Amino acid sequence: MCRRVLPTAILVLLAALGPVPSRAGPVNPDISILGQPCMRWTNDTFDASAKRVTFDQGEVEMVFDAYLNPYAKGYFVTSLAADGFSLEEGYFTLLRGLPGNLQVKGGKYRVGFGKLNPMHPHTVPFADRPRVLAAYLPGEESFDETGVSVSERIPLPGTSSLTASGGWLQGDTFRIPRGPSSATNDPLLANAETGDRPSEARPAFVGNLSGFGQIGDRSGYELSLSAAGGTNNVAAGTRTYVYDAAAKLKLWTAPNSYLLVQAEVLELDRQNAEWDSAAVRYASTTVRPVGGYAYADYNFSPRYDAGLSYERYQQPTADQIWDQAFGAFVGLSLMEETTSFRLDWSHFMPDAPPGAAERPKAVDTVTLRVIFSMGPHKAHQF
Amino acid sequence: MSTTSPSVVLAAGLALLALVPGDAAARIRVVASITDLASIASSVGGDQVEAFAIARPNTDVHRVEVLPSYMVRVARADLYLEVGLGLDPWADGIIDGSRNVKLQVLDCSRDITPLEKPTQVNASMGDVHPFGNPHYWLDPRNGAIVAQEIAAELGRLDPAHAGAYAARAETFAKEAAACRARGQQMLASLPARALFTYHSSWVYFSHAFGLDIVGTAEPFPGIPPTAKHLAELVRIAKERKVPLLLQETYFSDDAGKFLARQTGLRMVKVAPSCQSPQAGSYLAHIEEVARLVSGASVAPGAEPRVKP
Repeated sequence: MCRRVLPTAILVLLAALGPVPSRAGPVNPDISILGQPCMRWTNDTFDASAKRVTFDQGEVEMVFDAYLNPYAKGYFVTSLAADGFSLEEGYFTLLRGLPGNLQVKGGKYRVGFGKLNPMHPHTVPFADRPRVLAAYLPGEESFDETGVSVSERIPLPGTSSLTASGGWLQGDTFRIPRGPSSATNDPLLANAETGDRPSEARPAFVGNLSGFGQIGDRSGYELSLSAAGGTNNVAAGTRTYVYDAAAKLKLWTAPNSYLLVQAEVLELDRQNAEWDSAAVRYASTTVRPVGGYAYADYNFSPRYDAGLSYERYQQPTADQIWDQAFGAFVGLSLMEETTSFRLDWSHFMPDAPPGAAERPKAVDTVTLRVIFSMGPHKAHQF
Repeated sequence: MSTTSPSVVLAAGLALLALVPGDAAARIRVVASITDLASIASSVGGDQVEAFAIARPNTDVHRVEVLPSYMVRVARADLYLEVGLGLDPWADGIIDGSRNVKLQVLDCSRDITPLEKPTQVNASMGDVHPFGNPHYWLDPRNGAIVAQEIAAELGRLDPAHAGAYAARAETFAKEAAACRARGQQMLASLPARALFTYHSSWVYFSHAFGLDIVGTAEPFPGIPPTAKHLAELVRIAKERKVPLLLQETYFSDDAGKFLARQTGLRMVKVAPSCQSPQAGSYLAHIEEVARLVSGASVAPGAEPRVKP
C-alpha cells in the first residue's frame, strides 16, 4: 500500500511545484524529472516476449540538487519504476574549506569506480550498460553504496589534473547469497535466514586515481585506475576484489562535432563461499576473470550522434568462458536536449560451455529509448 | 661518497628563485567565463592583472563543457568573473571543482539592467532565461558598467592599487562611449534599421546602436529554424526590406543561405565574443561587429582588429 501511495504523493507534490521556475530559489532546490520509456525487440529464446516488440515504461528519475551553504551541496536522485520507488542517490559534498583542499562526499551514491559506473543511464549513448560491468561489479543495476569518500587533487605542472580518492563503504552490494549444500551440517540448513550471517555488515573500500590532460582548446584525455574490495560472505570470510583501468579520449573535430572513444579493462578476483561438510567449515574457490569494453561515439552535430561498441569478457564462473558482443547506436535530440531518441542494436555471442556440442545462438536486441526531461537537468551526454 | 654542501643547495635555490619573475607572483589572477569579461578585466587591471577566459570566442556559451583543466586554472585564481543571468551555470561546476576557498566570485550582471526579462517562464517558450537576456556585454555601455564592478572588486583584493583600477575604469568608460559613437556613425549609412538575428543574442547590440530586430531565425530561443518559420521570415523580409541576418559563427548556414536566396539579404557571421582576453580586444570586437553590419569594407592596407 505504502509503495503505491508514496510515489503518487510525490508526483502530486511535484505537479504542485510545476509553475515554480526551474532554477533553485532561495528555499527550493533545482528539480528535474526524467522519463525513459523504451521499445524493445529481441530474439533471445530465454525471453518470454522473444520476437515481439515490447514497451517498457522505463525508470522515472527525479533529481533534486542545491547548495546547502557556501561550502557544500546536496544531491538526491530517486527512481520510480515498475518495481517501486527507490532512492538511487542521496549525498552531500563538502566542496571547499577543508584542510589541504580535500573534498568529502557522504551518503548513498554511485561509487567512483572506473568511467561508466558513476554515470546515470540517461547520459550514455547506448541502451544497456556493458555486460562486463554487470558481471563483475557489485550491485544489481550499478555499484552504488552508502559510505563516505575523500578526494584530493595532486598538484601537477601546467593545467593537467590528477585526483586521488578513497572511500569507506557499507559493503552491502558485495554480499552474494550462497545456495545451501546437501550436507546436513551446513549452517544454512539449520537456519536459512541467519546461517551465513547475512545481516552483519563488513566494510568495503574503493580507491581511484584519475588524470586528465587537455589537448588544444577543448579536447582532452582521461586515464584512471580503480580498485574496490569487500566481503561477499561474512560467515565464510570470502572477499571480492575488482580492478579497473579506463581511458577516455574526446576530440573536437569541428566547432560542433566531436569523437569520443572510451575503454575499460576489468579484472575480478572473487572467492566463492562453499561449505566443506567433511571438515565442518567454510571453504572457497576463486575465480579471476578479465574482460573489457570499448566504444566510439561520433557527435557530428549538436543533436545527432552515431557509434559502435564492442565488449569481450570471461564469465565469472569456474570455466571462465569468453562471451562477446557488438553494438551500434544512433541518437537524435529534438529541440536542444529536452527530448532525445536513442536507437541501439546489440549482437551478443555467448561462448559454448565446456563439453557443449554447439555454441549457443547469438542474441540480437534492438532498443529504442526516449529520454525526456523537465527542469534544468537535461538528457545530456557526458 | 660525496655530499652536497648546504651552501651549494641554498645558492642553487636562490638562483632558481631569481628566475621567477617577481611581478608574476604579485599579479591578481582573474578567470572569466568569456573573453569579453577577461578583456575588460585586463583593461581595468593593467599590469597588475593576469586574465584568462574559459569559453573560446567561437563557442556557444550556453554549452561549455566543464574540463578538469579549467578547475586547475581556477584553483590558482584570485577572482572569477561570471556572466550571470543564467548564461553560464556551468561556471559553478568549475568553481566548485577548483576547491579554491580564497576565490572571490563576481557576477558581472549585478549592476546591469537586463532586457527581455520575462514575466513568466516555461519550456514552451524555448530556452528563455528567467532573469532576462544574458548577452548584455554586446552593448559597450554595459561594458563600462562591468569595468566599474571589476575595478571595485580588484580594489578590494588589492587596496594598494584601488585608485589605479578606478582611474582605468573611468578611462575605459570614455573609450566605450567613443566606440559606440564610432559604431553609430558607421551604421548611419545602413539603408534600413531592421535586421534578423539567428538567436536572440544581439538584443543589447541593437539597443546600443539603434537597430531594430524584426525576427530571429530560431522560432523560439534555442529551437532550430523550421520551414514554416522561415517562410514567415521571408514574408517579413520582403515587406520590411530587411537587409541582413546577423548570426554567430557556430550556427548552421542553412537558414541564412535560404533567406539570402529568397530575399537577397546579406548574412553576417560573427563571433559573439572578442578574440582574446587582452586589453582592447573587447571594444575592438564591438567596433568590428558594427563595421561588418554596416557593410563597410576595411580601409586598404588595414587589418581588421578582430577576426570575426
